[in-house]
Formats: sequence, structure tokens, C-alpha cells
Amino acid sequence: MLYDIRQTTTYSYQVPVRVVRQVLRMTPVDRIGHQHVIAHILDIDPDPAELEHGIDFFGNGLTWLTLDQPHDHLSLTTRSRVDVTSTALPDPAETLLVDDVRAAALEEADLGPDAAAHGLFPSRAVPLDADITEWTATSFRGDRPVLEAGLELMHRVYEDFTYEPGATHVATPPHEAFAARAGVCQDFAQVMIAGLRGLGLPARYVSGYLRTIPPEGQPRLEGADATHAWVEIWCGPEAGWIGLDPTNDIAVGDDHIILAVGRDYADVAPVDGVIVTSGDHRLSVGVDVAPVVR
Amino acid sequence: MDGIAADIPPKTHPAVEGVIVSGAEQRSEVFERAAAESLIGGYRTLPGIRDEMMDQDGQPRRHWMPFLAALAELGSEELRRRFSAADRYLRDSGVFYRVYDDTGGGERPWSLSHMPLLIEDADWQVLSAGLIERAELLEVVLQDLYGAGHLVADGDLPAAAVAGSPEFLRPLVGIKPEGGRFLRVYAADVGRGPDGRWWVLADRTQAPSGAGYALENRLASTRALPDVSRNLNMQRVASFFQALRTSLMKLDRTGEGRIGLLSPGPLNETYFEHALLARYLGFLLVEGEDLTVRGDTLHVRTVAGLRRIDVLLRRLDADFADPLELNSGSRLGVPGLVQAVRMGGVSLANALGTGIIEAPALLAFLPRIATRVFGRPLKLPHVATWWCGQPAERAQVMEHLDELVISSAFGRALPGLPDGGSVLGADLTAIDRRRLSTLLARRGGDVVGQDIARLSTTPVWTGEKLTPRPFMLRVFLAATEKGWTVMPGGFCRISSAPDARAVSMQKGDRSADVWVLAEAEVADTTLLPSSANVKVRRSSGTLPSRAADNLFWLGRYVERAEATLRLSRVLVGRLAESGDSGTSPLVTRLLGLLGAWGAMPRDLARATPARYAVAVLTRRDVPGALPQLVQAARASASVIRDRFSPDAWRALVDLEACVDAPIPSAPSEADAAERADAALRIIAAFYGLASENMNRLTGWRFLELGRRTERAIGTLRFARTFGEMGAPLGSLDALLQVADSLITYRTRYVMMEARGPVLDLVLLDPDNPRSVAFQVHRMANHLKVLPGRDQDAPPPLWERLVARMQAELAASTAESFEPAWFDAMEKMLMELSDEIAAHYFLQGHSPEMTHSLSM
Repeated sequence: MLYDIRQTTTYSYQVPVRVVRQVLRMTPVDRIGHQHVIAHILDIDPDPAELEHGIDFFGNGLTWLTLDQPHDHLSLTTRSRVDVTSTALPDPAETLLVDDVRAAALEEADLGPDAAAHGLFPSRAVPLDADITEWTATSFRGDRPVLEAGLELMHRVYEDFTYEPGATHVATPPHEAFAARAGVCQDFAQVMIAGLRGLGLPARYVSGYLRTIPPEGQPRLEGADATHAWVEIWCGPEAGWIGLDPTNDIAVGDDHIILAVGRDYADVAPVDGVIVTSGDHRLSVGVDVAPVVR
Repeated sequence: MDGIAADIPPKTHPAVEGVIVSGAEQRSEVFERAAAESLIGGYRTLPGIRDEMMDQDGQPRRHWMPFLAALAELGSEELRRRFSAADRYLRDSGVFYRVYDDTGGGERPWSLSHMPLLIEDADWQVLSAGLIERAELLEVVLQDLYGAGHLVADGDLPAAAVAGSPEFLRPLVGIKPEGGRFLRVYAADVGRGPDGRWWVLADRTQAPSGAGYALENRLASTRALPDVSRNLNMQRVASFFQALRTSLMKLDRTGEGRIGLLSPGPLNETYFEHALLARYLGFLLVEGEDLTVRGDTLHVRTVAGLRRIDVLLRRLDADFADPLELNSGSRLGVPGLVQAVRMGGVSLANALGTGIIEAPALLAFLPRIATRVFGRPLKLPHVATWWCGQPAERAQVMEHLDELVISSAFGRALPGLPDGGSVLGADLTAIDRRRLSTLLARRGGDVVGQDIARLSTTPVWTGEKLTPRPFMLRVFLAATEKGWTVMPGGFCRISSAPDARAVSMQKGDRSADVWVLAEAEVADTTLLPSSANVKVRRSSGTLPSRAADNLFWLGRYVERAEATLRLSRVLVGRLAESGDSGTSPLVTRLLGLLGAWGAMPRDLARATPARYAVAVLTRRDVPGALPQLVQAARASASVIRDRFSPDAWRALVDLEACVDAPIPSAPSEADAAERADAALRIIAAFYGLASENMNRLTGWRFLELGRRTERAIGTLRFARTFGEMGAPLGSLDALLQVADSLITYRTRYVMMEARGPVLDLVLLDPDNPRSVAFQVHRMANHLKVLPGRDQDAPPPLWERLVARMQAELAASTAESFEPAWFDAMEKMLMELSDEIAAHYFLQGHSPEMTHSLSM
């Protein structure tokens, strides 16, 4: 599936700001077996004094940005053309057993970007939580195939939680969203991650986009007009990371365009930066994902 | 270690005799033993535990005997006197440790155990060699973890044992630190086991604390026992700090010798030490907000603008160091620091990411890594550790639970276990054991089991006798061009209970000095910061703006406090002299002045002047009253402690104590006057110490500018209020008193106060150090030589303001003093204060907040 994606992010400052340093994670990159980035453009207004591109530890596209002239707004616009290939989901019943995945995760001699070990431990935005862990545990008997249990957990989140924009905010910890059984894609993903890790199973956070216009005859998916988030669960050395979208109760396919992966939201936040000002600031974000007719 | 001690031939201690006898008579060991007996007669070592002073037969070890003999010779009375002198030294120099769990995060005075820990040289050499080897190994591990990654790929270290650490900083992977080294300062907590061997209990690689406290303990203990320490050939620690300084200096490429000590700020538990080390080493004490990354290099905001800084001794935990690529919630760091590190623009000691070494999980794999790296086991053992991320080790730990300590593998609290982990397996209840068993089954990687360390004991002085207590010793190493150098001494922490687990200053334990006794006489390098061997180099251009800001306001607060005190003193003096009631016109004017400063409580109506004075001196709820002024002064001073002599700091502490002292419930005028006099004396002492002991560099000028600005404003107000035409009787006398110019006036004019001469003296006389003219001249002199002044550019606004005030004062006579004249002068002073702040402190910013842009 071929997509044209456009994201606009605009900061407006009440009082002009002089110096800004930021790190952006807004550039999609090639993901073997899932997507190929054909073109990507980042427009920054006003023009930055310094601009550099690179790749972070997890292989995500990273941009360092400095503005050093007074400015009252900052607009970041990305336009990407990405080719997404849907890979077939392995047969859940054939995946490794939960106990074996747990053991394999500790034994892996890999510390690279996609290593299971990174998904195993509590992280800044996803601390372990006893309640979430116990809630998750009911799906994960040790002798059950891990993806079967994972799909069940995803379905439970989808069924038990209310999709409710405004119920949470970007820094809401998983236990709050869990207690409220409500939130948005970020909360659902982080609750799932907390539960999986509590059981010693590697899980990671993915940010990205979802196609805005559904194929004919199908319902519009939640999270399509903003950046989206979902989960990847590690299913053993063979199967590797498998994407599950608890917001829509679907395994990740060619509707999902990956922007960044990390241990939690803190690793993939599209913007990190600090300004010093006496005034307030406002932020607006717009996303448009259009399938390209070949 | 007994084996090693036995290899050394018995020796006499010729130097010690000087203490014990005045003659040339040689004392035998037998005599020393007899003298020592009086001290150690009742000393009982703990069963099964090794003691540093006594051997297993209850005999003092050889290297303690001359020391014990010297103490015995002093006698217990003299000992008590000397030990309290050491305590007084620590208190006077303001050694504090901030305690987190105190309500209000209070500071607690340092608690020194007066008996030093004595270690003989041969023993020390073994420990040093082991620690040097260990430091080298840890450097290899760091190079690999943030570099090629062979240890994990080859199976010598499980990936999860690395990934689990919050200090494995992924943005730093692939970055080679500028200067080539990750570790430049390394500390190890060691203890001695029952077999006499030293054991490493923990590695400190993030930002080791304690070296500065060790220095303070040394100063205190040598002050108490100067003759004893000298005669025992105690090794000096100053050379260690010199080596550290020299090696960091080599990383500076600006050629300006500027090194920063990056501190999280005064709320940190060891802030005192940051200030102390910065002062001692001649480094700039900086916080994140003092620094900014421009391009790929780091700069410090100074009163002379941005100045490049290449080297930071880092006391801020790495995760907080950069909100862009590390913890985005941090307000203590420097945005862009990681990128500056990446581009080689700055060297950090230690590098970002070194904290990963502190994870207990790593201890389980170091022996194997050592064998791989060195081809042999480590010389110095560490506490045996099993990482429960491995099935066999997990089973082992469960099986031997009662003989082990259960701890967190990465420093995070273990959910469901007492105290979040670090518990004796034997202490776990049945419920705890079930929880642990579930935890191990699900998340074994979070847990380690460790052998129980049975630490040796060392004597502490209880005021009456010596008692054995377990201790832990922190030893410090610094990387130099020629390899690692070890501080001959260290920071010894003594458990307050016979059980030695979890010795920490946070829990109220004591610390002790550590004497490494050399075989031969030690060259006499002194430690005192005032000596020339650690030369303070602080060019006038590197005063951070934040420090200048605080110095300026410190000057203003102290001066305001002084003015408030003088007004109060006149207030009670009036009453005593003339029996004025609270409603006399003069008293009303005095109260008006205090009211304008917010020093008067609003809830006191029609009280006596004495009650007003007492309220001004003691009410903590009144913003402009003395307690809050003094508190504000101390708060300003506390964030720039590296710039004060301990004596000047002490004066501020005294001032606070004076203000805080209880006052009788029905205070008399005499009580109020006495309080005001005492406080004024301390303020005079503060100014004296500050101007005598502070380098007359930029920092002192900002203190002066603050003080002069405040005094000029105050004096103008006094003169206006009391010097007005038709002011009530006694006004001119009051003016001379608050302006502290009475004596000058009386010696110059042998007559009653007259308006013209009084106002001339108080406002215009350039030779009267209290006059407005004098303040303005001083300010002009300071402003002229402040850095960052472009001599070719037209004079900046503040210089023109001062010139206008000088001209105005020169052209004025007693007839000029109309209300409009006072208004104009005060307005110019306020404007000047704002201009100085805008240019030197805020650098073009308005009062502002830091906002996160993260989304």
C-alpha cells in the first residue's frame, strides 16, 4: 500500500522566544519487512540556525534543531511517501510458549536496536504495576502460545477500555489509565506494555500513522486524524516483534505506517525541547494520511 | 592481612617519642602497650568479627600502638577537649549534609567519629593495587558497552544484565568520549572480611561523592591531633586533588583553564561538598542553567557574556544532564549536552553513562570478564553476587536464601519486598518468600542474591571509652596521564549499630578520617586551601551570571537588614531618652519608614515603640522584618557558597542564629536594643570578612554594588524623612544615628544639629562612608572595571546614570533638597539596579520560566 502522509506541528508563543533547541522524531525510515520510505521532506518555519539529521539508538530518524532568532511561532511540516507491505501474521497457535519466550528473552546475546532485552524492563513512562500485571496474567498461562495470549490481551483492552480523547494527557501514567479503563491509543499501548513486562515478556512502543480514509465498506479506524500508537510484543527469536493495535483490536498490517519505536512514549516523542519564556505557548498538530492510487 | 603484617619486622616509632617524652630516651613497645592499656582496657571485640585495632588475642595491632600511646599520654580530659575542638571546626566551617527525609529537607551538621581509622602502608598498597586494577577493568567494560559490544555478543555478559540498568544510556552508544576515557574519578566502597582481606562492596562511577568530606574530616582530625598525625607519618591527601586537577586541566583546549563543577544545586544532599571542592580545586561551581550549548561547544553564561567551557567535573546524575536526549523532564541539565559530547565539544568527568557500572547485576559477571581481559582473576575480590536472570543462579539463590542478601539488580525498588529490596533472606516472612518466588519466576532479571558481608570493626570514641563498630571505607581514585592515582586516605562511614548492613550518611551514621601510615616521614604538603599548592585561578571574566545575581542581592539584603536594625535601635533609643509615646511625630516618622519597607506588622495598632521594635526584629511572618531579610540573605549566599570564606559564611549563620534566638515574652526596650546591637556587630563582621577574605574580583564588586545601591536608597529615604523643613524635634539627631554619622558630625561641628551641615554630611560629603555621594562614587568605580565593557562603544546606560548622579550630587547644596530632588535620585538608583540586572544577570531576558516543548 502506498501512502502520502502530511503532518503539521505548530507552536505559537505568547511572547517571542529567542533560543530553542529541539530534537525531532518525525522522519519515517525503512523497516525491513514492513515499509520502504520513498521520499521525505521536513519544512521548518522560521529557518533554523542549525539543523542536523541522524539515527537514534533504536534506528529512528532523528533531527537536531536550533533556532537562535526571536520568533513567535515554529511550524514543522513533514511530507512522506511510504510504501507499506503487509506481512502475514504467524499462526498464533504455532508461536513459542509464554515460559519459553520469557526464558529466551533473558538469554539473548543481543543488545542491538531490535534486541528483546530493551523491551523487558520498566522504562521512564511505563513503570511496572502490580494491578496491571495481575490483570494481564489471566491471559498468559506459561504453557500457552505467546501470540495467542497476546491477541487475547489486545482484545480485552479493546473491550474493557473506553476510547475517550481528553480522558488522559500525554504524561498520564499507565496505572491511571488502567484504573479509569479509559484513554487513547498511547494509554492502551502503555497499559499493555506494563502488563507484558510485569510478566517478564518483552514489549515495546510504536508511534506512527494510520490510514485516514478506510477502504470502501469498512469502518473508519480510531486514531486516524492524529499520530497513532500501538504495541509490539516479542514472540521469540524466530517470530521476533509482532505489532498489535489494541485501539482497533487488529494486528498491525498495511494500514499502519511506523514512525518510531522505543521502550515507551518517552523514547519516541515527536518533539523534545525546552524554551525559556515568560509567556505561554500553544501547540496544534494535524495529520493527513492518504493512500496513493497506483 | 595478618600474614602481611607478620612479614614486617617489628619497628620502633622514633617520631612518636617526641609526643610522649621530652628527652631522647627510647621508648620500648612495652611502654606503649602499658600506656595504651588505659584506653583499651575495656575494649571488647565482637565475636567472629575482625577488629582493626585489636587482634584475635585481644592485643592491639602493632600499627595502632604508637597512636594509642600518644592518646593515652594526652589523657581523657585533654582528649575530650581536643575532640570537641574538631567538632567545633566542622560546625564553624559549615559542613552540612542535606537530609532528604527531614521535614523541609533540613541540613544536618556533620558527625565525625574522632578516632581515625589507621591503615598501615603495606596493607594499603595491596588495596590500592587491587583498586587500580579494578578501575582499569571497569574502563574496559565501559569502552565495550558503549562501543564494540563484544562482551554481550560473546556471551560474557547477558544483554538483559545491561539493558535492565536505567543508567545504560542508549543515546551515548557509539560515542567515544573526548579525551578517550569514560572514567576519570572512581570510588569503591570496601570493607574487610573476617579473613583480613579487603573486599569491594560497591563501585561508585556515576559521580562519586565523599572526597570533599574526606578532606574536611582530615582538616578536623589533624586540627584535633596535629602532633600525633605528624609523628605517625600520616600520608597527605592533597596530592590526589592536585593530580585530579592537573589531569582535568589537560582536557581544556581553550587555554583559559576553565573547569566547571556541574552541580544539581543546593537541594542536593551533597551540595556542601560541591561548593567545597569547587573552591578547593579552583573550579567554577555551575548548575545547568548557567550553561548553554552553542554550535557543538559548551558555554557558561558569565557577567562578561558567554565563555566556552570544555571540561566539567560532573556531580549531576547523567540521566538529568540533557532534556533533549535523556530525561525530558529534567530542569537541571543543559539542552543539547549529549550532542556537544557526541561532537567532541566537551569532556565530562565522568562521561555520561558510566553509572551503569554501579548496577549490582554487573558484579556477577566481573570475575569472568576479568579473566577474559587480564587472563587471571581480579586481585581484589568483591562481594559474591548471583544474578537471578539465569536459571541456575536463580535456583541457587532460592536454595541458599537464608545465607544471602536479596537486592535489586539495577537499583530499582523490588515490588512487594520489605524496603523495596536489600533484605536479608533470613529475615523474609513466609509471605515475603512467596512474593519473592513469584518475582523470580516472572522477573528474575530484577534480582540479585549476594553474600552477607561481615565487616570488620574499628574503635569509636563514645566520650568515655572506645567501642568497636562496623565500618565501610570509600576509597577514591583519579585517572592521570600516568594511570590511576589513589587518595591515601578516604571516607570511612561507621555504622551506628553493631550490624553493618546499609551504612549510609542518610541514616545518621558517623564518618571518620582515614590515616594511611607511611613507613618513612612524609613530605609536608599542606592541605589548607589558602596555601599556594592548589592555586585558585579564577579570571574575572568567568563569574557566572547567576552567582553575580546572588551576590548583588546578598549585598542588598544584608544592607537592608542593617538599615532596619538601625531604625529599630533609634526607635527604642528615642523612648528611653525622651519618654516619647508611640504617637510622637518623630516616632510616627520612624514607623512610617519601616512601614514603607513592609517591616511593620499591620496587626499592631497603637503599641509602644518598644513593641514595634521587637516586632520588626523578631516577626517571621512579616515580609520586610528582620527574620525574612536574614533568611533571604542566607538563601542568596547558600547558592554561591564556593565564593565565600568559611568565616564569612559563618557570620551569616551567626546572624541567623542571633535573629532566631528566643526573646523574653515581655521584652523591654533594653532587650530590643541589645538584640539590634548584637545583630549589627555580626553584620559588621560579615562585611569585614567578606572584604578581607574575598578576592577583590568581579564577585566582590557585585556584592559591593548591591550593598552600595541599597545603602544609597536607604540614606536618601532617611534624609528625606528626617531632614525635611519643619521635621519634628530630634529628627536630625535620628538621621545622624540611622546614617551612623553621629560621631563624624560631632567631631566636625561642635554644635547642635543644624539642617544644612547634617544633610551635607549625610548626602554630599564624599569622605563620609555613609553618604549617598560616597555610595555613588564607589558604584562608579566598580562599574568602570566590570568585564564585558566595550571601551570603544559609547558608555552604556548604567554608566551614564551614575555619571548623572555624580554630577547631580556635585552640583547640589543643602538648598537643593526638595522632594523632587529625592524622587529623581531614588528613581535613578532603581533604574541603575534594573540596568545592572538586565545586562549582567538576565542577559536580555525578562523574568521567565522554563517550558517543555515535548509532545
